[in-house]
Amino acid sequence: MKKSTILLFLVSLSLLFSACSSSGSKDKTVVFADAGWDSIQIHNAVAGYVLDKGFGFKWSQVTGSSAITYEALKTGEIDVYMEVWTDNLAPYAKDLADKKFEEFGINYADNAQGFYVPRYVIEGDAARNIKASAPDLKTVADLAKYPKLFKDDENPSKGRIYGGIPGWEVDKILFNKFNFYGLNDNFIYFRPGSEAALASVLTAAYEKGDPIVGYYWDPTWLLAKYAFVKLDDAPYNATDFAAGKTEFAAVKVTIAARTGFATDYPDAAAFLKKYKTTSALNSEMLLHMQETKDDVVKTSIWFMKKHPELLAAWLMPKELALVTKALEVK
Amino acid sequence: MDWFFKFPIKFQWDPNSIDRVIRNFSIENKVFFDGIKIFLTQLITFLYTIISWIPWWVYLVVVFILGYLIKHDWKTGLLYAAMLALIGFFGLWDLMMITLSIVLTAVFLSLVMGFPIGILMSYSDRANKILHPLLDTMQTMPVFVYLIPAVMFFGLGKAPAVLATTIYAIVPIIRLTNLGIRQVDNEIVEAARAFGSTNLQTMIKVQIPQAKATIMAGINQTLMMAMAMVVTCSMIGASGLGMEVLISVNRIEMGRGLVSGLAVVIVAIILDRLSQSMAKEKEKSQ
Repeated sequence: MKKSTILLFLVSLSLLFSACSSSGSKDKTVVFADAGWDSIQIHNAVAGYVLDKGFGFKWSQVTGSSAITYEALKTGEIDVYMEVWTDNLAPYAKDLADKKFEEFGINYADNAQGFYVPRYVIEGDAARNIKASAPDLKTVADLAKYPKLFKDDENPSKGRIYGGIPGWEVDKILFNKFNFYGLNDNFIYFRPGSEAALASVLTAAYEKGDPIVGYYWDPTWLLAKYAFVKLDDAPYNATDFAAGKTEFAAVKVTIAARTGFATDYPDAAAFLKKYKTTSALNSEMLLHMQETKDDVVKTSIWFMKKHPELLAAWLMPKELALVTKALEVK
Repeated sequence: MDWFFKFPIKFQWDPNSIDRVIRNFSIENKVFFDGIKIFLTQLITFLYTIISWIPWWVYLVVVFILGYLIKHDWKTGLLYAAMLALIGFFGLWDLMMITLSIVLTAVFLSLVMGFPIGILMSYSDRANKILHPLLDTMQTMPVFVYLIPAVMFFGLGKAPAVLATTIYAIVPIIRLTNLGIRQVDNEIVEAARAFGSTNLQTMIKVQIPQAKATIMAGINQTLMMAMAMVVTCSMIGASGLGMEVLISVNRIEMGRGLVSGLAVVIVAIILDRLSQSMAKEKEKSQ
C-alpha cells in the first residue's frame, strides 16, 4: 500500500517535471549564467528585458558557482554569460581558441582590485572627528611600518591584513604579495572566509572609524558607498604579477555565448555584441540596489530608464522603439 | 477573487531601519563588545596554548588508553589512536589544534552557562515556558542570519566563531539537564525532603546525580553540535580544519577537501565515543 503510494507520487512528480521542461523548449529562450554576484544578475536582467521586449525571447538564469556555470556554458546548457572574469578562469584563453564558446565582446574592463584602506586613515575626517592615523601610507610596501595601527586582536603583537576569499585565484597572488613585501614579519594574513564576511567587516570598521586594511575590488556597492583608497603598487607586468610583485591589471570582463548561439539568433547576438558598460556604471547600479534594497529586476529597469543612451547605442531603431515603449509603461 | 489566492496585505516596512539600528548599536556599544571580544580571544588563546603545548604522542597514548577503557579491548584503543595519527600523517595536526581550541572553548562556555539555565528551567515552569521557544529559535535560525551581525559586533575571527558555535551548541545541554532533572522519580525527591534536605542539598546530592546519565548525553550532544559548526565558522574567518575544507571546496580540490573533511569526522568520532563512554562509566559507578 505504502510502496504504491510512493511510486505514484514519484511518477506524478517526474511527469510534472518533464511537462515543465518540455513546455519551455518550443519558445525562443535564452538561458543566462547567474554566477552568484549582484552585477551579473543585473546584467542578466537588463539583457533579458531587452531580449524579451525587443526580440520576443523568454529568459531564465541558471545559478551556480562561476566554475560550474562556466562549464555549463561550454556544454551549451547556458546560452549567454554576461560577465566572464577571464583572469579568474585559468582555461579561458585555451577554451576560446578551441571554440568551446564564443566571445561576444567586452562588458567592461576598467575594474580594479588590491589592498584598500579607508580614506580617513590617510587624510583624517574632520566631519567625524577622526585624525589621520597614517598620513604617509601610500603603497603596499608602506604597510610594513604600521603593524600597530592595524592590530590583530588574536595576536596583538602583530597587525592584520584582510586577504582574499579562500579559493579565489586572487587569494594566492595576494598571499605572494604579502610575503614579497615582507609583511609576514609583523602581520597576519587573515582569510575572511566569505565575501559577505569581508564586506561586513570593512563596513563595520568604516562606520566605527577604525583603521583597517583589506583586499577589495571595484565595481562594488561598498567602494561606491564608502571612501576607500587603494594602496599603490609597482606597475603591472605579466611576468612578475603572479608572484605578487606588481599591481593588479584590470580584468577583462567579457560577454560570452555558447557556440552556435550567434548563428541561431543573429539579431540577438548583434545586440549582445554591442552591449558595453563601465565600472562606474556598474558601481552606480550596485549602490542603487544596496541603498534602495530593490530587487535585481527593479534595479535593471531603473538603470535602463536612467541611461537611455546605452540602449540607443546597443539597439537597432526598431528594437529600441519597442524596448523604450515597454519601459514607459512601467 | 485575487485576494482569495494571493495574500492581500503586505507590510510596507523598511529593512534598512533594522540595518541602521544594528549598526548604530554596534558603534555606540563598541567598548562593551570589544571587551567581550578580548575576553573570548584570550580564553581561546589560553586553551590553544595549553593543548598545543602537549606533544602529539601524549594525545595518541591518552586516546589509546581511553579507547581501551571503553570496552576493555585494546583493538578499539588502537583504532582510535591510529585514526588520530592519520590526521598527523596528513599534516593537519596544527589545524586540528586550532579547531579544537575553538570547539572546546565553545563547549566550555556552553556548559558553564547551559547547566545552570537547565537547572533553572527544571525548577521553574515559567522559565521553561519562556526559554523553550528561544531554544527552538537558536537551533533553527539559519546561522548566517546572525553570523553577519556577529561580524558587525565582534569583527572576523575566532571570537565571533566561538559565539556562533555557543549559540548553537548550548541548546542540548540546557534541554537535557532540564529533562534529566524533571525525570527524576518524585518519590526519591520526597524521601530526600523527608530526611530534612534543603532544596540545595536535594539538588546537588539527589537530583543531579540521578539525572547524570541524561546530562552526560547532553554534554555529548553539545560537543557534537560544536563540531558541526566548524566549517560554517570558517566562513567568518575562523582558521583550522574548517578553513581547509572551505578553501579546497572553493577551489574544487576534491582530494584536499576529502582529507580535511575526514579529519573533521575523525575528531568528531573520537570526541563522541570518549564522551559517551565517560557517560557510561558514570552510570556503572552509581
